[in-house]
Amino acid sequence: MRPVFARRRARLAEAMATAGVDALILYGNAWQNDYLRYATDFGILEGQALALARQDGEVTLYLDSPLEAERAALECAGVEVVHAPDLVVTVETALGRLRNQRIGGAPFRLLPRRIAARAKDLNLGDETSLLDRLLMGKVALEIDAMRRAARLADEGYAVFRAAARPGRADYELIAEVEAFYRAHGVDDNFQIIGVGGPEVRGMAPPGGKRLKAGDLVTTELTPCVDGYYCQICRTLTVGPASEAQRAAHALYRESMEAGLGVVRDGVTAADIARAENDVFRRHGLGDYITSEYTRVRGHGMGLFADTKPHLLENVTTRIDAGMTLIVHPNTYHPVVGYMVLGDAVVVTDDGADLLTAMPRDLFAVPA
Amino acid sequence: MRRGLMRWDEGELPLGVFEQRMQRLRTAMRTAGLDALVLYTNLVRPSGVHYLTGFTPYWSEGLLLVGRDGPPVFATALSKRVAEWIRSVSPVGDIVNTPQPGTVLGQRIAADPSVRRVGVLELDAFPAGSYEEMSAAAPGREFVDATALFAELRRKTDAAERRLLARADAIAVAALQEVDAADAADAGAVAGAVEKRARLEGAEEAYIAVAPDLATERRMIRTAPSLALKDMFALRVSVAYKGNWVRRTRTFARDGGARQDLSRAEKWFASLIASLPAETALAEQIEAEVQQLPGARLVSFMAEGAIGSYPLQVIAASNAPPSRRLGDFLVLTVELVIDGRPWLGAAPALVGNASLT
Repeated sequence: MRPVFARRRARLAEAMATAGVDALILYGNAWQNDYLRYATDFGILEGQALALARQDGEVTLYLDSPLEAERAALECAGVEVVHAPDLVVTVETALGRLRNQRIGGAPFRLLPRRIAARAKDLNLGDETSLLDRLLMGKVALEIDAMRRAARLADEGYAVFRAAARPGRADYELIAEVEAFYRAHGVDDNFQIIGVGGPEVRGMAPPGGKRLKAGDLVTTELTPCVDGYYCQICRTLTVGPASEAQRAAHALYRESMEAGLGVVRDGVTAADIARAENDVFRRHGLGDYITSEYTRVRGHGMGLFADTKPHLLENVTTRIDAGMTLIVHPNTYHPVVGYMVLGDAVVVTDDGADLLTAMPRDLFAVPA
Repeated sequence: MRRGLMRWDEGELPLGVFEQRMQRLRTAMRTAGLDALVLYTNLVRPSGVHYLTGFTPYWSEGLLLVGRDGPPVFATALSKRVAEWIRSVSPVGDIVNTPQPGTVLGQRIAADPSVRRVGVLELDAFPAGSYEEMSAAAPGREFVDATALFAELRRKTDAAERRLLARADAIAVAALQEVDAADAADAGAVAGAVEKRARLEGAEEAYIAVAPDLATERRMIRTAPSLALKDMFALRVSVAYKGNWVRRTRTFARDGGARQDLSRAEKWFASLIASLPAETALAEQIEAEVQQLPGARLVSFMAEGAIGSYPLQVIAASNAPPSRRLGDFLVLTVELVIDGRPWLGAAPALVGNASLT
């Protein structure tokens, strides 16, 4: 069992004991896997899974995919793996055997309807927040994994830059990054991309657009190492940047650095978002920090690429030392189009340690 | 998450195909006494919604409501800013961006008093939060499981689906051609080359798994750095092209004698795939065919199809009760021992047809 997983298991047992929860039922799939991974260390790809974690440390992982069950049996030390073709009924039966015990579910909204419908009968309550607290506050071993992921985020972006040239399609750039990541043991990667000019309002999966001179190429790149995701956001130009592109990038950099300057133990998510947004407001671009143009000004990272807290001016979550965040003032710019810039940090008592090390430049590749 | 090519191309998937699929679904709904059907989607369970709309979420989740007539309604937690992208990859239906898709669809159901009985694909596994929102917003409505109804619809592929499956298979075949057994040493490097080829060929998604040393373990794992490939190894590539999934597995050997056995097994498997009859039970057919391969013994088989929300789900297996309700498309995975050596193979097939096209 990897040390970071052993440490998580101990924290989970401790939190369950404190909360008086005897067992947890945790749901996971390839999209939302952080709750499941916390207790099993399994990075599921296909199908769905439920894990039953008991306070004594025993964990049973139920998977409906036979291929994934085979893989989990080899990859998950210290976890009992069960192939359950009828996942819902199998787990419902297992929960039924835990009579007179207090069971928690997380994330409760994603539990199968049939199991949630028996919540009262099974003494099953919503313990999503218990897991959320564990997921947000990282211990040292988790931060070590985040640092490894950050290094690969930097290296992956270097591969992305090297792949970018006129005539290449957006999906070809991502193919190069993925090849690099598979060769370096990266389990997964959250990545979206934008190519073009003022007509580009955001990033999405690649649609086959080919790079041409003058384009902005944006990407959010988020490799997963040992289960932990770390993100970097950068923008490049195809050919030399225009004056407008350089000016816009300077504004985004000022905004990101204003946000990073606020990060420390004890502030709120809103404080960081406000610092970023104030820069846009000062430059007369206050309209472009609304939900019409942007989603969040950053977010947590860890066993999920986009975990709580979301950095928004109406989110009052306290930021604690040990949290890992990306600060990214990504939004639409009315002159040059969608632009991104973001760095990952770990929160400390008096500031933030940078995880990503890529220069904060507006990169340019030859046209 | 999905990060490969995602684009709707009308030449590949004409609007008329969606209309025909919707028409078939509505006929089945009428027969079953359903006034509406609700399907859930996320990147793990995209196939039901994709079949009807062409849409796969690269992230997040959504719900599709199909009524007795009119355009379907797709409600998704993806933000409003993504609506333009959704429209670019999905030409069908109305799109509603909302943090509570269940509530929105429940309200739509409640707004039509003639909608009393609503089918739900995979009702038991429906996410509890979305179901709670939907049922609370549509009081007095009956929600019933419609998994069998939808599976019956999906057991018959149409020409457009077969063309896309053929393209996915061509990508998988090309990707596996990147493996040179004589030179392959590191599993991570090989997986990277295979995945790169798949993505450069336009794969929407590619999952690579490896059994690095078949002499000791035939189960597959994801690759890791510095994982050495031994004398006999196997690779599985699962590929999606425009929402249509196939798998291919190949076994590789460095030794000449082993390669001869592999070659015999590959020819046997290709012949089996090309000749799966529609009316014979799959287990009996495979057992009979194995008898034709000297020195071979069947260890296991598994057939997967796209009959629900999963891209591929098990529809028959050697460790499950026999099934005669397979459908015309499947991915067949077979494990043999041939002259004492393990052999793994997987490929897509059209039951009763020689090839996917």
